[in-house]
Amino acid sequence: MSQPLLEFDRLRVDFDLPNGTVTAVKDVSFTLRKGETLALVGESGSGKSITSTAVMGLLPELARATGTIRWHGGSGDENLLTVNRKRLRAIRGNEISMIFQEPMTSLNPMHRVGRQIREVLHKHTPLRGNNAYLRVVELLEQVGIPEPKRRIDSYPHELSGGQRQRVMIAMALACEPQLLIADEPTTALDVTVQAQILALLKDLQARYGMAILFITHDLGVVRHLADSVCVMQHGEIVEAGATKALFQAPQHPYTQMLIDANPSGHKAAVPDSAPVLLTAQHIGVRFPITKRLFGPNRYFEAVKNIDLTLRKGQTLGIVGESGSGKTTLGRALLRLVKSHGNIHFDDIDVGQLDRAGMRPLRSRMQVVFQDPFGSLSPRMTVGEIIGEGLRVHQPLLRRAERDDQVIQALEEVALDPAHRHRYPHEFSGGQRQRIAIARALVVKPEFLLLDEPTSALDRSVQMTVIKLLRDLQQRHGLTYLFISHDLAVVRALADEVIVMRQGEIIEQNDTQSLFNAPRETYTRELMRAAFLDSPAA
Amino acid sequence: MLSYTLKRLLQAIPTLWIVITLSFFLMHLAPGGPFDGERQLPPEIEANLLASYGLDKPVWAQYFTYMGNLLQGDLGPSFKYKDFSVTELVAQGFPVSLELGMWAIGLALLVGIPMGVIAALKRNSTVDYMVMGTALAGVAIPNFVIAPLLALVFGVFLAWLPVGGWNDGHWKNMILPVVALSIQQIAYIARMMRASMIEVLGSHFVRTARAKGLSEIAVIFRHALRPAMLPVISYLGPAIAGIITGSVVIEQIFGIPGIGRYFVQAALNRDYTLVMGTVVFYGALIVLFNLIVDLLYSALDPQIRYDNE
Amino acid sequence: MIMNNATSAPPVASNSLGREAWRRLRQNSAATASLVLLIIIALACLLGPWLTPWALDEVDWNAFLAPPSIESGHYAGTDANGRDLLTRVFHGGQISLSVALVATLVSLVIGVLYGAIAGYVGGRVDNLMMRFVDIMYSLPFMFMVILLMVVFGRNILLIYAAIGAVEWLDMSRIVRGQVLALKRREFVEAAHALGVSSFKIVTRHLIPNAIGPVIIYVTLTVPKVILLESFLSFLGLGVQEPLTSWGVLISEGKDMMETAPWMLIIPSAFLAITLLCLNFLGDGLRDALDPKTR
Repeated sequence: MSQPLLEFDRLRVDFDLPNGTVTAVKDVSFTLRKGETLALVGESGSGKSITSTAVMGLLPELARATGTIRWHGGSGDENLLTVNRKRLRAIRGNEISMIFQEPMTSLNPMHRVGRQIREVLHKHTPLRGNNAYLRVVELLEQVGIPEPKRRIDSYPHELSGGQRQRVMIAMALACEPQLLIADEPTTALDVTVQAQILALLKDLQARYGMAILFITHDLGVVRHLADSVCVMQHGEIVEAGATKALFQAPQHPYTQMLIDANPSGHKAAVPDSAPVLLTAQHIGVRFPITKRLFGPNRYFEAVKNIDLTLRKGQTLGIVGESGSGKTTLGRALLRLVKSHGNIHFDDIDVGQLDRAGMRPLRSRMQVVFQDPFGSLSPRMTVGEIIGEGLRVHQPLLRRAERDDQVIQALEEVALDPAHRHRYPHEFSGGQRQRIAIARALVVKPEFLLLDEPTSALDRSVQMTVIKLLRDLQQRHGLTYLFISHDLAVVRALADEVIVMRQGEIIEQNDTQSLFNAPRETYTRELMRAAFLDSPAA
Repeated sequence: MLSYTLKRLLQAIPTLWIVITLSFFLMHLAPGGPFDGERQLPPEIEANLLASYGLDKPVWAQYFTYMGNLLQGDLGPSFKYKDFSVTELVAQGFPVSLELGMWAIGLALLVGIPMGVIAALKRNSTVDYMVMGTALAGVAIPNFVIAPLLALVFGVFLAWLPVGGWNDGHWKNMILPVVALSIQQIAYIARMMRASMIEVLGSHFVRTARAKGLSEIAVIFRHALRPAMLPVISYLGPAIAGIITGSVVIEQIFGIPGIGRYFVQAALNRDYTLVMGTVVFYGALIVLFNLIVDLLYSALDPQIRYDNE
Repeated sequence: MIMNNATSAPPVASNSLGREAWRRLRQNSAATASLVLLIIIALACLLGPWLTPWALDEVDWNAFLAPPSIESGHYAGTDANGRDLLTRVFHGGQISLSVALVATLVSLVIGVLYGAIAGYVGGRVDNLMMRFVDIMYSLPFMFMVILLMVVFGRNILLIYAAIGAVEWLDMSRIVRGQVLALKRREFVEAAHALGVSSFKIVTRHLIPNAIGPVIIYVTLTVPKVILLESFLSFLGLGVQEPLTSWGVLISEGKDMMETAPWMLIIPSAFLAITLLCLNFLGDGLRDALDPKTR
């Protein structure tokens, strides 16, 4: 076993807030060895990011860290929490460097990327002038930026998210650090880009022999990348160990829950004899790009000529990366955005209906959105939010009757009906998503559009929402159109899947066949990126 | 950049045209003629006067004459200062007003930006509270209150500086008006700079700069300052308009022979042509400065690329 | 993110955002003190003229340019015509505050309607309406108002209208921005999906959520309007005798400052304190209603 590089000993981070002290990290101890990759895993609020920023002395102002973080990468042993500022600056970017979750905003928008990389060289190495320039080009080449000599003069906004993260990596590697801290470096990226970045990190680690401290919520990534794992919950490490052993025999219930939280199960396909509920033919949606006062606009084709059919009781999954048009397609089917083509719902030609004509149908087709924070009006109580649909569709209901139905809907999504007088900001993300589901259910729909309903939630919360959706489907015979970028969730929930890319359908098949034998390269790429090639736990 | 400049210049034309046209017709809606205020003139002399100023013609004809003259830089004759044309009066006053305004905007930037930066760096400290308290007072107290108070304290009680007059732009005469004119802008800029600096200091790219091992000075000057200044730059347009407006009272209070003083006197004397000429001139000035500020902004922010569209 | 998580446990009592904002505002001592002081000033201006022993243009032949004194009953001294300054300051305050309220109301009504329509309708209508606002913005408005005053004479109704007409531009931009942002929020889309009518969407979803920034902006408009009115009055283009306003009084005080400094200092103090309080209150409201702290 190689020598220890970084040792945490009872690290504790407190935040001094106006209304008392909050402990974000307590008694965290672990050791990272030279050349090793260690993953800190946890859900939001587990304190994993705080732990990693403490290494670099980059904690927020209100934070207070105690304990020791021992660094063996310099000339001797040092406690990173107590070294003087000068020494800390000599370590940052040189012996230890860091890449962050937010590739879009982590680069200075006012400076060319070449300059930002060169700045590190100027700070920590004697390289100047042409030598520095050549090193920057070399670094850009190593991280896989095409045409590095041209890109060196680009501004960050001229690069894509993946390219920006590559520039961040080039910057971090400029001085060949002994430790790279990667704080959710791929979370904000599309899955295929994510796979490329992870492969790049692995490759560069082999080349430079550096250790990586990898912060993530994604167990799939951990399994493929890390040598050892520390699982964090509520600011504490609940379990640590070698990756393989930990995944095979998790000890702590939280770890077990996280590993089990991989969506499992399948949905049986509906028989071919099931009646058709919704058909769409030649659906196209376009948005104006230019905004001109007069004259023709230029358009962006978000959805191109799509056909689909949904049978009663079916769950049709639509997967795709950002910009694939999947969300727009869903909105078009509910006539929330303008589209051309034909849409028939239960043999009614909804494409021809105006707003008033659509209204009676609205109670039969409902929607649940991705963002549990944005989808509830912050100034209405939960009762008012859920009751609004009843006011529209059953205007004759008396107040008490409406209240009864609201209570029923809340019970159905397993929320305490006594909470209906509260406001949305008093609930957690998972609870809000349940409220959104209750709002849709209360008008007794047959068809539910689920637009990334679990994407903003932690894995463990996702599982409960998925279970709820399954139960509701069985209980009420609902038909789902399930839109997601998360293949694991779609595989568990849908009986038929459509893969979309750039507004078009790439591949369509029943779930089993699609995941077992994908026909298209793009589908395979997506699946590999989502680590679905490994057996599901 | 060039095409953007041209485009913006072309856009400025309709704005100016609206200013001129609105002013012209407003003026002609005014009840009574320009010579009503003076002693009762014999009818034939009044007719002569009207004819000599072209006021006997129909309004639209006067409008076209005015526009034609304007294109040649002629703002017409002043009704009250009989020996001067409006253009001459404006040309006389402008250098004085310009000097005053430039010093004021320079002072506002030179004092306001460091104040905001210091307050942001020492956030929630005594220094911060003091700087921001001063700035809030500066925002709240209008320049026409500050100006006489300054004159009272430094001119009358302490007698360090002259209470008024221009004295061909002697520095002693300039201090009080420049300070009075810039205080409000200093306060606005300091508040704005503090807010945007705090935001930038909390941004991800500043965290990146710190993670590179840069010193705090390098982080602030190389990474934080320029993006934090962008809101201040875009505020320069309104700031300049504010200073131009302010100069009207300040020149009046300190007895400075700039355009502002002519403007107020003309307004009180109902010297319509002079008022209108000044409004048109100020309008052009504000439009011009807005254009310069926009171009400056685009030069500072690489994310704006005007040539693409 | 940590703090968020630590405090996201549902509180015991249910709180609407409005009530929470009010609580936060009351915790801000500067804003609360300002609010109290503003109420006192407003009441003083409203009732003060009856409480002072002098009428607005009553001349005290024994006291020309008399300094403030308790015995004479001229608590703030007199002006060059022997009129009681405190009475005039209260009267001036009535005018200044009424201009502020009426003009703000004018700008509020025009701005909210214009902005909400542009934002809600969107597309070309929005484009056209906002282009118009852009052009209006680039006009040297202060000077147009002065021109208006010169041409039509000094009329208080005209002041109300003119200032209101200037200030609505900002308001319309703010409301439009809010409405545009809210329109894209998913709860509005969810309401569409439920078949809620346009009218109900505007009244139940858009307006209640846009109201925070509007309130903040109103508190910032009031001092601007007071400033504008006193600026015009100071130049001699505002209200006319026998009416007076703080700007008029400051202008008169400026001319007499060497012999009777109280004539400058007292109305200036009233104006400055009012403006300061309004700004404090505006800042406090912004902190209390700021969506980021939600």
